[in-house]
Amino acid sequence: MSEAATTMLTGNAAAAWGARLADVDYVPAFPITPQTEIIETLARWSAAGEMAGRFVSMDSEHSMLTAAGAAAATGARVFTATSSQGLLYGFELLYTVAGWRVPLVLVNVSRGLASPITLEPDHNDVLAARDCGFLQIHAETCQEVLDSVLMAYKIAEDPRVLLPVIVNLDGFSLSFTREPVTLPEPSSVSGYLGTYNPRHAFIRGKRPMAQGVSVLGGSVYSYFRYQMQLAAENAPKVHEEAAAEFERLFGRRYGLVDDYRLDDAELVLVMSNSFATKGRAAVNRWRARGLRVGLLRLRVLRPFPRDAIRLALAGRKAVAVIDQNLSVGFGGITVGEIAHALYDDPHRPPLLSYVGGLGGKEISEGEFEQILDDLQFAASTGVTPPPRLLYTEAEAGQMRTLLTIAGKEIDR
Amino acid sequence: MKTASRVVGTAALLDGFIAQDSPVYGAERRGAPMTAHTRIARETILERGVIANPDLVVVADDTLLDDPSVEPLTGTSSEGVLLLSSAHSPDELREHTGYQGVIEARDLLALALEHVGSAAGVSTALAAAACKLLGLSDGSTEEALKKELPQIGLDPQVVKASLRLAERARVGFEPIEISPPTRSGRPPRSTVVDVTYAPPEIGTPSVAAPANTPLRRTGNWRVFTPVIDLSKCTQCWICFVRCPDGAILLDSFENPHVDYGVCKGCLICVEECPTHAIAKVREVREWVEAGFDR
Repeated sequence: MSEAATTMLTGNAAAAWGARLADVDYVPAFPITPQTEIIETLARWSAAGEMAGRFVSMDSEHSMLTAAGAAAATGARVFTATSSQGLLYGFELLYTVAGWRVPLVLVNVSRGLASPITLEPDHNDVLAARDCGFLQIHAETCQEVLDSVLMAYKIAEDPRVLLPVIVNLDGFSLSFTREPVTLPEPSSVSGYLGTYNPRHAFIRGKRPMAQGVSVLGGSVYSYFRYQMQLAAENAPKVHEEAAAEFERLFGRRYGLVDDYRLDDAELVLVMSNSFATKGRAAVNRWRARGLRVGLLRLRVLRPFPRDAIRLALAGRKAVAVIDQNLSVGFGGITVGEIAHALYDDPHRPPLLSYVGGLGGKEISEGEFEQILDDLQFAASTGVTPPPRLLYTEAEAGQMRTLLTIAGKEIDR
Repeated sequence: MKTASRVVGTAALLDGFIAQDSPVYGAERRGAPMTAHTRIARETILERGVIANPDLVVVADDTLLDDPSVEPLTGTSSEGVLLLSSAHSPDELREHTGYQGVIEARDLLALALEHVGSAAGVSTALAAAACKLLGLSDGSTEEALKKELPQIGLDPQVVKASLRLAERARVGFEPIEISPPTRSGRPPRSTVVDVTYAPPEIGTPSVAAPANTPLRRTGNWRVFTPVIDLSKCTQCWICFVRCPDGAILLDSFENPHVDYGVCKGCLICVEECPTHAIAKVREVREWVEAGFDR
């Protein structure tokens, strides 16, 4: 195990370090808050010659993702980053590029989607991309951002997978937040990743090939789409191998899901991304009161880790899922997928659904207490309470004030 | 032919049937092979998409019979009917195709050119003939043409001419009793296989075979053929430069020649030739010239 310095880094800087340490060849970029610091950092390093990769400013996220995919199709190792509206602006390319089976890494800095427009995080942006063929790793800490970028290349470039990966970090609560991050030795990282030398996507004068071809006819189309599903189904095993080697080299271990104090837990919170840290704090408070509560953090969202989730949640007395996203007309997105994972298990627990943290809204200790009451009610009665959209009385009062200032005649 | 399928569909509706019509085509321009489907029934149609076992097949261009990307006789049975626009006789067509059902053929393209001056008119002619063969009423066919033709942007004069064309086109055709094979019992179950993961050099959508585009022959898209009269040619090479498909080649004397295997018959060369050395010729192609001379 070899480690270099531990230093204070933002999540954005950690993402940039991930690209630098992965020794990427090409970075097409377009800025958007709260992602901008990533590409500013890479641009500076590239200009100063500290990073060999070529940095190019593009005219939009659509062009950026096109360039990223096209470069990856020549056999280059490619990194790019965006956020929120930018991800949606380039959205059609997510499907296109994933279909090319090019293993680039895209960092998404989560930010709530308009309208109303905002800058702080929730996961509607990245979860909109959940069906496109990019694998998804969602990070809780700045260290995990860096480590996940490295693991993402290791997994994506494996011939059993060859799907691009989105590494997600929350805007503000990670992107602009500094915390201690240990930077691995570049030589160890190059030993870990090796060189990317694909057999299916390259430019060689002696061996011309056509990539990204069109097909007419559902059976040809279906064959290649099924190949993507089969590739994604290979990913958990490849992830496991990548995680084991990563631990051996760098001493940190990552799973498809991350369990916290789950061993004897009767009640479980399920969360993802940086707000899972707040969930850990709630678990600690409850444990201190003698309650058997734990937390399951969703880390790899695609492929969806059904088996790991089932293993972690089946047989518990009650489970509360806090979705920091809202599928309008459905509710929380991940709770539906978790229900799918548990449905066939005879020991499936009552599954409580919460939507919270939209646009970076605080999830307060008091709200966690409400969730605990609901969990205990469900555990003792077997009755699952209806889904809740978390909002406190204090927030409602503040909202009334703002509506009044905005000239809304709320009392009429 | 999309319009033909719609005319038949609308005529059937007007005659009190339930109908469904749908085209299938790619991203290529007019002239490329395409198919359209019409289902006619007395009750709700519980089918979608391509008709796997057509009772009546209408072929607008007999060179398509030999086109491996079309294969218009797929799924037909000896109980069915084949209607073609062709200069060949039904006997010649039967000999060429081996088709066992009823064959009805007339050079409806020539009739269309005569009446409306456009190859696209073959669609109207075939629709009228198909309606007649199916036993749909002449009145409903005419109503259907009046409904559908303006929708593809034909001006009233052309619609009028098309109605006259339809009248002429159906002459000589009589309704044919088509008895679709009755299917009973459980259909044979398809073997559903497990698709397995293929290594990336196989399982990704790329093409490793170099330069296979020439295999895609497009010569049978033509209705009119450009024919170069070299005695009038000044070797300006404008045709060579302007051909959008690179179908005009220069020989060792620098004279232009058309590659009829790929020439789609757009006739841009005829327009562009400053000495009018390129003629527009209506050809009746021999089977071998269908453009699949691999």
